[in-house]
Amino acid sequence: MADNGYISKKQFIEELRRYQKGSVTRRHFLGVTGLGAATAVLGAAMPALRPSSAFAQGIGDRVVLATWPNYHDTANFDAFTDATGAFVQVNVFGSNEEMLAKLQAGGSGWDVFVPTNYTITTYVAEDLIEPLDVSKLSNYDAGAFDPRFADAGTVDGTLYAVPKNWGTTGFAVNTSHDGGKALTTWKDFFDRTMDDFSGRTMVHDYQLTTIGNALKYFGYSFNSVDPKELADAEKLLIEAKPHLFAISSDYQPAMRSGDAWLTMCWTGDGKQMNSDIPEIHYVLGREGGEIWSDYYAIPKGAPHREAAYALINHMLDPQVNAREVLAHGYPVADSRTNALLPPEILNDPILYPAQELLDALEFGAAATLTDPNRAELLARFKSA
Amino acid sequence: MTRRERNWLLVAPAGAWFLVMLVLPLSFVFVFSFGERGPAGGYVPAFTLEQYANLPARWTAFKNTMVLAPLGTLAALLIAYPLAYQLAVRTDPRWKTLLLVLVIVPFWTSILIRSYAWIFILGGQGIPALLAALGIEDVRLIYTPFAVTVGIVYGYLPLMVFPIYVALDRLDKRLLEASSDLGARPFATFWQVTLPLSVPGVATGCMLVFILLMGEFLIPALLGGGKVFFVGNALVDLFLQSRNWAFGSAVAFTLILIMLVTVAIYMRLIARLQVRRDDVAIM
Amino acid sequence: MSKTFGDVEAARDLDLRISPGEFLSFLGPSGCGKTTALRMLAGFEAPTRGDVLIDGQVVNQLEPHRRPVNMVFQSYALFPHLSVADNIGYGLRQRRPRLARSVIADKVERALETVRLSGFGKRRVWEMSGGQQQRVALARAIVNEPKLLLLDEPLAALDRKLRKEMQIELQDLQRQLGITFVLVTHDQEEALSLSDRICVMRAGRIVQVGSPQELYDCPASRYVADFVGNSNFFEGRIEEVDGALARLVTGGGQTLAGRASPGLAAGRDGCLSIRPEQIRIGSEPGPGCIEVTVQNRIFLGEHTEYLVRHGGLGNIIVLAPRQAEIGARGFEAGARAFLNWSDEAALILNPD
Repeated sequence: MADNGYISKKQFIEELRRYQKGSVTRRHFLGVTGLGAATAVLGAAMPALRPSSAFAQGIGDRVVLATWPNYHDTANFDAFTDATGAFVQVNVFGSNEEMLAKLQAGGSGWDVFVPTNYTITTYVAEDLIEPLDVSKLSNYDAGAFDPRFADAGTVDGTLYAVPKNWGTTGFAVNTSHDGGKALTTWKDFFDRTMDDFSGRTMVHDYQLTTIGNALKYFGYSFNSVDPKELADAEKLLIEAKPHLFAISSDYQPAMRSGDAWLTMCWTGDGKQMNSDIPEIHYVLGREGGEIWSDYYAIPKGAPHREAAYALINHMLDPQVNAREVLAHGYPVADSRTNALLPPEILNDPILYPAQELLDALEFGAAATLTDPNRAELLARFKSA
Repeated sequence: MTRRERNWLLVAPAGAWFLVMLVLPLSFVFVFSFGERGPAGGYVPAFTLEQYANLPARWTAFKNTMVLAPLGTLAALLIAYPLAYQLAVRTDPRWKTLLLVLVIVPFWTSILIRSYAWIFILGGQGIPALLAALGIEDVRLIYTPFAVTVGIVYGYLPLMVFPIYVALDRLDKRLLEASSDLGARPFATFWQVTLPLSVPGVATGCMLVFILLMGEFLIPALLGGGKVFFVGNALVDLFLQSRNWAFGSAVAFTLILIMLVTVAIYMRLIARLQVRRDDVAIM
Repeated sequence: MSKTFGDVEAARDLDLRISPGEFLSFLGPSGCGKTTALRMLAGFEAPTRGDVLIDGQVVNQLEPHRRPVNMVFQSYALFPHLSVADNIGYGLRQRRPRLARSVIADKVERALETVRLSGFGKRRVWEMSGGQQQRVALARAIVNEPKLLLLDEPLAALDRKLRKEMQIELQDLQRQLGITFVLVTHDQEEALSLSDRICVMRAGRIVQVGSPQELYDCPASRYVADFVGNSNFFEGRIEEVDGALARLVTGGGQTLAGRASPGLAAGRDGCLSIRPEQIRIGSEPGPGCIEVTVQNRIFLGEHTEYLVRHGGLGNIIVLAPRQAEIGARGFEAGARAFLNWSDEAALILNPD
């Protein structure tokens, strides 16, 4: 679709369907609205949505999964139900903060959840996560995983989480508006926002990436909690705010419709938009930024623990995992799964950026999750 | 059973409801507001006024809410009144039901879906594209305070239309004839008879919309593009993102307090305007 | 003039001249078009055909607020949000150019005096009794000194005693102010006692216009005779019309004489009307007397009403003055009695 062409009927329907599924972007606006939690409650309150099992193999008739939108191939869940009799009840969430908030509040009813690397130590410290019994995970082969994306699952020598997918946080730019001058850095991102992209830029409604990428503008660490560095980032963000189109993690619709030309963006969204609209490029800021890895884990007090192990083990099966990648387009750290993937995926520069770009990236740090100053900074930025 | 016991029994369900749904949660909020945030978020019991001392950090959110709630209510009133008047006074009774249903129908649809529709209407491919075709370039509507106002007025219109409609519909049409008979021109009749007698409906509508607007967070989040920040949004962030329950409780309690005081003042003003006790709104 | 609502003809060929200072009543059962006639005068309805003239000017297109006419509404239509004084001053406040506040206050005060409500000005209207509200409604209308005051069943909501009082007050007021009053009522007694002229309506048409006495003594039709006062009716064939008198033979073969109403023709069906109070009842037979059996007796204070039965004429109602009975026991049910009346008291009418 041309940048200023009209959205087609088909695209509109797709957008709407994506929205209806609650799957607009990975950490999308459900987080903003708090509706993720509402979905979870509703799902649990409607037993009609669950089939009754005729042959529960001692693992119960269902398993509750808290995960991100657009992050699974539902056929894999159906296969799990066929094999075990346990129905997979999926609740989608908007942010790690929201997941943590829900677990902290208690009574989540989840059996499996999908935390991001930097949150796991906090879950351990808060005693909200169950150590994993590897004997129940026959498909888990520690040696098959790239340690960069698997290490965070182990805290103080105890395995708490096994890798699911990894990805990066960069920005997506509609190159038909860059006047021939490509954007390559976070400095470009903010400077051009206040110049030729004024009124066309979106940043996430998410402390980790929005503050982190503003920190990168100055060359500071993505994870800085240094008051002076945070003050610089805040000044930049507040200066840029009048030039922003929106502060929202739900950026795909505006990018696709041509209302927005530039946005902070995650791997999968970048891939999806680029596939449909080739002039939208996915760029990793040269200064660095975020690299992340998601994990499967079991929360303390999971009501169907056996089913939880069964589900995680099922998802770790390389055949199953390969089908997942083909459905959502995020890379995996499992070499067994990569061996099953077609070369065009393994060579895709959006999924697998050049090494020198990857080298500059940082994993999110636990401190950012718990630091009240970063949360307050984001609140000041949003209310400025 | 004495009469007194029986009376207690009769009010017991309402009392229990009131206790469980209102008093209990409010008490929690009140107690939490004197606590502290845990190291990873949540709530740690304490007795400190720190959270209340921190309130100025959400000054903008309070200020925006205190501006938006009255303005949004006024805007809804200005649009709802003519609509309700048209429906109640000018519309052929045969069409009334149909038109009333048309006013309600949007209410049956999720506010999310409806707000999303506005994102398309106000977005670049919507009204701005239309204006561009007419030669008016570069009009930005979506993710502005204007978009939020449109969304709010649209979302809360039925709540404003209905009480006013009922008040106008119950208005004795002979009073209008009497006014005309006594020499009042149509506008004078409206100003001196119709309007004062519809005050109860206006009061109810304004109250409903105002209270809901004070806590609004969804429409600003969706149509304000995250740039228009109200107390409701601050609360969502405090509880669901930064997990600062203590500060969130202080903000929530302050909002409730402001709401109660405003509503109390408003009720007194209306009571002064109010002339017939039996005309007082239908809530 | 005429008025139709959809297919319904509410008022048809109304042709009526109302004199200045007159008290005229529209009398008829509900749905006879009397209220429509009033509303056309007020300007709430426009005639479908014909004209409404006030002081020789056609006012058909004149909106109600431009007409020199005021109305007292059925159940008053007082403004609930205004005080008594503000209700009364409402019309004055609409005047352009504006009247001075003090002028309005004076006029309101005088209107309150006129309706004997001095000191009630600050009250809320719903604090007032029905009779007081009625007077406020009157004051609200007359304070504007209209050329024409329209009253739509103004006393219908009051109890009987209050109604009597208000009737007297209305009449006094009208004499005092000299304003033309047009009253709509279904209460014949009210119409008879108040009006200079009564316009009897039926199914949208005027059937007779005249003074109360004319209507009572010389009703133009059985309908009027029946609606205005009570009457006994004997149906039959008109045998002879001789100037002012006529004779009628009833179905039972009885020959009765009476005044001839205009337009009677011998050989046609007719109807004799005799008012109950015009019939004398006695215990002795005499010339021209008919013999009846007393069926029932109702003691009414100053009168006694007898229901009697005659072999040929059927049931007859007789109203006997009390005077004739003092000392006498009157007639018990089952007693034999004799009736007679003068031919001049009876009226022979065309049947409707």
